Amino acid sequence: MTRKYAVFGVVVLLLLAAAELRGWSLDSTSETLNVPHTVRDNPGSYRPAYLYTGSGRYLRGK
Amino acid sequence: MTAPDVKALTCPACGAAITLRTGAQALTVVCDSCHAVLDAKDSNLSILQKFGVKLHWTPAIPLGTKGDLKGEKFMAIGFQVRSITADGEKYSWREYTLWNPYQGYRYLSEYDGHWNDIVVAKSPPTPVPGSDPPVVEFHGEVFKHFQTAEATTDFILGEFPWQVKVGDKVQTNDYVSPPHMLSSEVTKEETTWSIGTYSSPQFIWNAFSLPGEPPSPQGVFENQPDDYGPRASALAKVFALFAALLIVFFIARQVTALRAPIFHQSYAFKSPTSDTSAFVTPVFPITGHTSNVEVTISANVANSWAYFNVSLINDQTGKAIDFGREVGYYYGSDSDGPWSEGSTEDVSYVPAVPPGNYFLRVQPEGPVSFSTTNYSIALRRDVPRLAWFLIAFVLLAAVPMFMQFREMMFESMRWKESDHPMGKTSSGTDDGDSSDDS
Repeated sequence: MTRKYAVFGVVVLLLLAAAELRGWSLDSTSETLNVPHTVRDNPGSYRPAYLYTGSGRYLRGK
Repeated sequence: MTAPDVKALTCPACGAAITLRTGAQALTVVCDSCHAVLDAKDSNLSILQKFGVKLHWTPAIPLGTKGDLKGEKFMAIGFQVRSITADGEKYSWREYTLWNPYQGYRYLSEYDGHWNDIVVAKSPPTPVPGSDPPVVEFHGEVFKHFQTAEATTDFILGEFPWQVKVGDKVQTNDYVSPPHMLSSEVTKEETTWSIGTYSSPQFIWNAFSLPGEPPSPQGVFENQPDDYGPRASALAKVFALFAALLIVFFIARQVTALRAPIFHQSYAFKSPTSDTSAFVTPVFPITGHTSNVEVTISANVANSWAYFNVSLINDQTGKAIDFGREVGYYYGSDSDGPWSEGSTEDVSYVPAVPPGNYFLRVQPEGPVSFSTTNYSIALRRDVPRLAWFLIAFVLLAAVPMFMQFREMMFESMRWKESDHPMGKTSSGTDDGDSSDDS
């Protein structure tokens, strides 16, 4: 039992180190691939697919 | 084991043959047929007690069976069933008298599948003054009082090195220090102390080569070793080590985290919402290893809100990380006094952003208003997060805490049947004692 817990603890600490150093986050985001460079010329044309909406007021997609 | 001096006699009550396995050692022998209790010291086996047995118990270890207890050979010669009554409920257990011509007598007790290997103590324990509940010390071991009760002999079979009859009553006092149990039996004439050691049923079965499997123990016995205790203790030590490592890592992270500013700009908007309010920032580099990016949005909202659709877009790959944040701050006063809700600042984290050139696409939104909302967006990379450390702490603590809980439950079950159940005061326990003794 103690040995299994020791292994579990080491795994938790390694995951913690990875989470901290790689910058994992619990905050929700969504990813969009291949956003065209024209977004810089016409920012209003871009429709991100939202997941996190703060108050929940804006839940919409493309 | 040397063959005992077996004597063949006849029961004066029913005429059945009686075997005296211990020869001159026995003081009492019980007829297997009519259960008459006979005086073994009398050459004519005078009858000490004669009665009609309504209930009959069969010993799990048949009398005459020889066994090997840790290298010492014993024979089962006597069997008795005894009971106590507590809170109107009768609790019965079984006792076996074992004999070896060189080692003398030894005893086994069994209650609900729990076995104890018992020897008579050569000296009484020393009471520890002022202890509540009572505590005694025996050969350096401290025993805590468990129960005082009046035990009644309900059934006897075989032979015994003392005068015993059905209906005999003694006061018993049990003290425990698992796996040991110290018991006294008090009569008007004498007080006898014995020390028992909790034994596994399989050990008893193997010792006497009994057929089949032993009945499984039910519940928690008074001196049953708590397997959870040592495990909980060992886990607590490992947890302490992990907790120390966690603190060291946390401090190291606080010291070494870059918290590098990568973007900061102030803006203003007025229109409630519109695609035309969207804009992009200049391209800025994010250097170093893959890390999180902290996004802080501050807005001068007052009893109002502003919502920001934000995309962190990699200028080279076109990959965008989209998220939305709201900044809202409200305040006022009512009959309870001044109050406020929300904040003029929102902090969020974009996970695992690889190095590269990025820009932000920001689309602010707000309520219909004629006032201008000023806000700023600041980005920093490689910012330590307390949340991960808290999660790691909870995960690491969960296992030892669960084991501690199991240990607590085990001890609670142990002491539930005692005169000192956990969570009850001494005065309440005393009341329980008097009712038990009555």
